[in-house]
Amino acid sequence: MVKQFSVFLENAPGRLSNLMDVLEKNEIKVLALGIAEAGNFGIVRLIVDNDEKAIEVMRGANIAVNQAEVIIADLDSLPQAVDVLGTKNLNIDYAYTMDCAKVVIKVDDAKKAIEALSNAGIMVYATKC
Amino acid sequence: MSLKPYRLPRDELMKLQKDRLGALIAHVYGGSQFYHKRLRDAGIRPEEIRTKDDLKKIPFTTKMDLRDNYPLGMISVDISRLVRMHASSGTTGNPTIVAYTQGDIDAWAEMNARCLEIAGVISNDVVQVAYGYGLFTGGLGLHYGAERLGTKVIPASTGNTKRQLKLMKDLGTTVLACTPSYGLFLIEAAREEGLEAKKDLHLRVGVFGAEPWSEITRRRLEEGLVESAYDIYGMSELNGPGVAMECRSKNGLHIWEDQYIVEIIDPNTGEVLESGEKGEMVVTTITKEGMPLLRYRTRDITILDDAACECGLTYARIKRILGRTDDMLKVRGICVFPSQIEEILTGAEGVSPHYQIVVDQEGVMDRLLVRVEISEDFKTDKLTELVALQRRLEEELKETLSINASIEIVEPKTLPRSEGKAQRIVDMRKV
Repeated sequence: MVKQFSVFLENAPGRLSNLMDVLEKNEIKVLALGIAEAGNFGIVRLIVDNDEKAIEVMRGANIAVNQAEVIIADLDSLPQAVDVLGTKNLNIDYAYTMDCAKVVIKVDDAKKAIEALSNAGIMVYATKC
Repeated sequence: MSLKPYRLPRDELMKLQKDRLGALIAHVYGGSQFYHKRLRDAGIRPEEIRTKDDLKKIPFTTKMDLRDNYPLGMISVDISRLVRMHASSGTTGNPTIVAYTQGDIDAWAEMNARCLEIAGVISNDVVQVAYGYGLFTGGLGLHYGAERLGTKVIPASTGNTKRQLKLMKDLGTTVLACTPSYGLFLIEAAREEGLEAKKDLHLRVGVFGAEPWSEITRRRLEEGLVESAYDIYGMSELNGPGVAMECRSKNGLHIWEDQYIVEIIDPNTGEVLESGEKGEMVVTTITKEGMPLLRYRTRDITILDDAACECGLTYARIKRILGRTDDMLKVRGICVFPSQIEEILTGAEGVSPHYQIVVDQEGVMDRLLVRVEISEDFKTDKLTELVALQRRLEEELKETLSINASIEIVEPKTLPRSEGKAQRIVDMRKV
């Protein structure tokens, strides 16, 4: 399982740039990013290289952030992976790609999903890099 | 130091009130050019006014009267007897001046001391007064009351939050007096200083006033700042703070009826309403010497309750202020009070108690927008749940206000904070 941050941002020019500035100034590298928007606000989902430091600097900058567990698998295995999760009745809330070849998947129960995927012979990454 | 006895049986209190009303009418008729003329113009002889019921004959006094008679046209004593003048902020035109004799200052201190006493404050307490000192009556009013009760007073005034917190910690403050919005602000500010207010400070009693606030704000203040939060009411025209105060039953604010007569009126017609009905509070100051007011329209909306209180005090209670006639927004013809909106927002999970109300126009239609900050540790990573929260708040607003309002969730710390009275309304309509 890997930690993902969901940051609340107003849907306006400059807001994402502010978030990136905070991370960059603190030498936190973004490994994957997904954006979803609804009207005047959106959620930016992030996988970063240093979770503890990231939460500290974001809190310090008064950034509203939620933490969740996600899983990372190879993009190649996606057709098979979604089939397995479907069979086990594990719903995918959302997913986004990472490094061109990987996919970040959010399901309601990450632990169960890892178990199901591993049992089906699908590789799930234990770490982010 | 002990206070003058004020725990009187109800019938004695009412007799005292009646006697003092008679004396007041004689005092203003003889001492105030303004009231002499006003009573004469209305065809009222001073001896006609004997009871609270007789007051109905007298025209209301309004804030406009105070402005029109700037600076000291409303006083009822020779100017040589005045010992203090306060002024309220006039955003347009003249400020309103209130003037005190030594007797007024003493009575006012006594009332504030009573207020603190009924909230359980004792002489051993350390009272930090974080209301503004100066022309605003809040700071000095509470200050004199706390001294009268024999407590140790820290006249911290407003602002310089870091120093406020340091003093609370180092001097062992046990009672904090400030606006409720500053109280909420202090909870956050303490965290930024690495302090958990409930653990690292020892605030037993919070005396919160100068703004209307809600039961949910009380819960937040009691969870995050003080052991017990009390509502205090007052306004400069009626001396300042200390006009009414919650007792430990926290079911309305006892108003000092040996000093004031309260009527509740329909703000549109001026008609006096029955006890228990909601309306504008109108107050006659029966002991003030320097600048007494007859039937002063406070513009505050409340309900008067003269039923006995379980705390044993015989003074009638007003409900916590439900709104002000001038804060009241008319949106599409409907009366909207910011306190109604606050109640909903402070009760919702996922958003902070910081909000702003924006009214503008789309064509000829008024539009109501409420902006609220998301909690820094919001509990979902799903957009659909945030959208659902937004919809739910909009539905609750519609149900409470009877008009449509949009909710806009914004980032933390983006709405203006106040260190004095909260400024939460932005009205962009063209008049």
